[in-house]
Amino acid sequence: MELLDPAILLQLLISGLLAGALYALLACGLNLVFGVMRVINLAHAELMLVGAFSAYLLYRFFGLHPVFSLVIVVPAVFFFGYYLQRVLIERVVGQPLLSSLLATYGVSIILVNIGLLLFSADYKSVPAMQGSILFGEIAISKPRAVAGLISVALTLAIYFFLERAHLGKAVRAVAEQPQVAAICGIDVRRIRMLTFGMAAAMAAAAGVMLAMIYSFSPISGADFIQKSFAIIIIGGMGNFAGALYGGLLLGVVESYVAGFSSSQWAEAVAYLLLVAVLLIRPTGLKGTAYVK
Amino acid sequence: MLNNNRRRVSLGLGFGLMLIAMTAPLYMNAYYQSFLLQLFMMVALAQAWNLISGMTGYVSFGHTAFFGVGAYAGALLLLAGFPWWLAVFKGAGIALLLAVPLGFLTLRLRGPYFAIAMLGLNEVGRIIATLWVDLTRGGDGISLAPKLLPSLHSNYFSMLFLALSATLLVAFIHRRRFGLELRAIREDEEAAEMVGVNTTVNKVMAFMLSALIPGAAGAVYAMYTSYIDPSSVFAPALNIQMIVMVLFGGTGTVWGPILGAGIVMFLREMLWAQFPAAHLAALGVLLLIVVLYLPGGIISLFRARQQRARPDARTGAAP
Repeated sequence: MELLDPAILLQLLISGLLAGALYALLACGLNLVFGVMRVINLAHAELMLVGAFSAYLLYRFFGLHPVFSLVIVVPAVFFFGYYLQRVLIERVVGQPLLSSLLATYGVSIILVNIGLLLFSADYKSVPAMQGSILFGEIAISKPRAVAGLISVALTLAIYFFLERAHLGKAVRAVAEQPQVAAICGIDVRRIRMLTFGMAAAMAAAAGVMLAMIYSFSPISGADFIQKSFAIIIIGGMGNFAGALYGGLLLGVVESYVAGFSSSQWAEAVAYLLLVAVLLIRPTGLKGTAYVK
Repeated sequence: MLNNNRRRVSLGLGFGLMLIAMTAPLYMNAYYQSFLLQLFMMVALAQAWNLISGMTGYVSFGHTAFFGVGAYAGALLLLAGFPWWLAVFKGAGIALLLAVPLGFLTLRLRGPYFAIAMLGLNEVGRIIATLWVDLTRGGDGISLAPKLLPSLHSNYFSMLFLALSATLLVAFIHRRRFGLELRAIREDEEAAEMVGVNTTVNKVMAFMLSALIPGAAGAVYAMYTSYIDPSSVFAPALNIQMIVMVLFGGTGTVWGPILGAGIVMFLREMLWAQFPAAHLAALGVLLLIVVLYLPGGIISLFRARQQRARPDARTGAAP
């Protein structure tokens, strides 16, 4: 392979950005939950797989295209997250870190093993879309392009919701100063339920997108949660926009490493970036310091 | 009075259990010996986790990294011709030495950053073990020929020794100044530093000790199973089990991890062996119940009863 051919460099950049958009959608949800309630949701990637397996079932039994199954899956998982917050996560908000880590770890183990009981450990895929789009010398696979663009659109939609909408401002208020927000008449509990529901819905949307491009099994969550951790640490914990940049950065770096060496090394990239950032700049590249 | 009594009960119980464990190979078949060996391994690992995470509050999700390093070091040294006990010894030493730089690097990080860094550390270990094919044979794993391996009895007593020394280490530290300082770090690290606790040295010491045990346990485990590969020893599932056992028994206590390991292993063996997925899901449910309703673990049930029966020993006030 001609390494420095601009067409190849551009090709790798684009496919990296598209993969990164998916990572960003996933990691933004994780970071949103951390920002608002200081809970690290270890079950986040399993919520993503709930989305992926729902898309798989809808495609398999009703022939529904994943893009359309978003309309069903995302609201359903939103309500699942909403009530999960109500019955479980709310009880560990404000508790020591160990409690919330373990509670969400419990949810993660339960979901993974229900998945294994229902679907076994075999890899599944949703081959709804094939082919690629050609721009001169550059070829982009259609499912990747669609998944990447939808991910970017959803991430930006949530971003502007948080920045502009009345309710989004309430979410940010709870993240910054829960007590003051409560005094101002914001129903903090409901906002936290909304936040967790939104984060779950983002994870599920990422899962539906994932189903279009990769094969997955109930144990695929581990890779993704760790990449998401790397991303939110690179971008700064609790910083929504940081996770967006972090996700795109990871996608691009992985793409170049996979292009120039091997995909196994690309798997290691996330951890190397993670360790490097933790050592050099523990608050993240774009981060506001995490105060205990 | 109360303390003396509790100490006597603890000692008596400890000697009783040791007696059973020491004599078990005389009247138990290989199946039960294997079960007990795994139980000892989990007690040792749970105590190691208890030492760093239970006492200092630094939650480690990556202690299996040291288990994996110990397993690989032990297996490779055995292949290189060292006798098994020296391979175990060196495997533990390598894990300990590795913990020094890693401790200095990761323990600067607070709360969630430390937890995530440790989770990443285990993954780095697994990836290195997979990619460094010349040394580790990559994903194929390492098989150990039966003639190199110690007998089941040797493995049994090695694990028993590890479980015992890990427990004694925790018991010893628990009541010493070192243990108090570690718990002070858990409660409020800034305040601890303010009153003169050298938090960095304490944390790194605890981290080293808690890496030594999984290192040795990993090496013995490699010899017990005679085959290891990257995902069987750098296994996040093993880390979950350590955490669940400590929590279930009682975090930061001496008997908690033993109790937790005993109960969870018993349930696993007797009830859930046939349904692996259902078993782990049940472990998840157990974890949720403990976190939500029993934050002090099973051991807190005994404590509560004791305290109801007597006036509060510390303040002398009637209940």
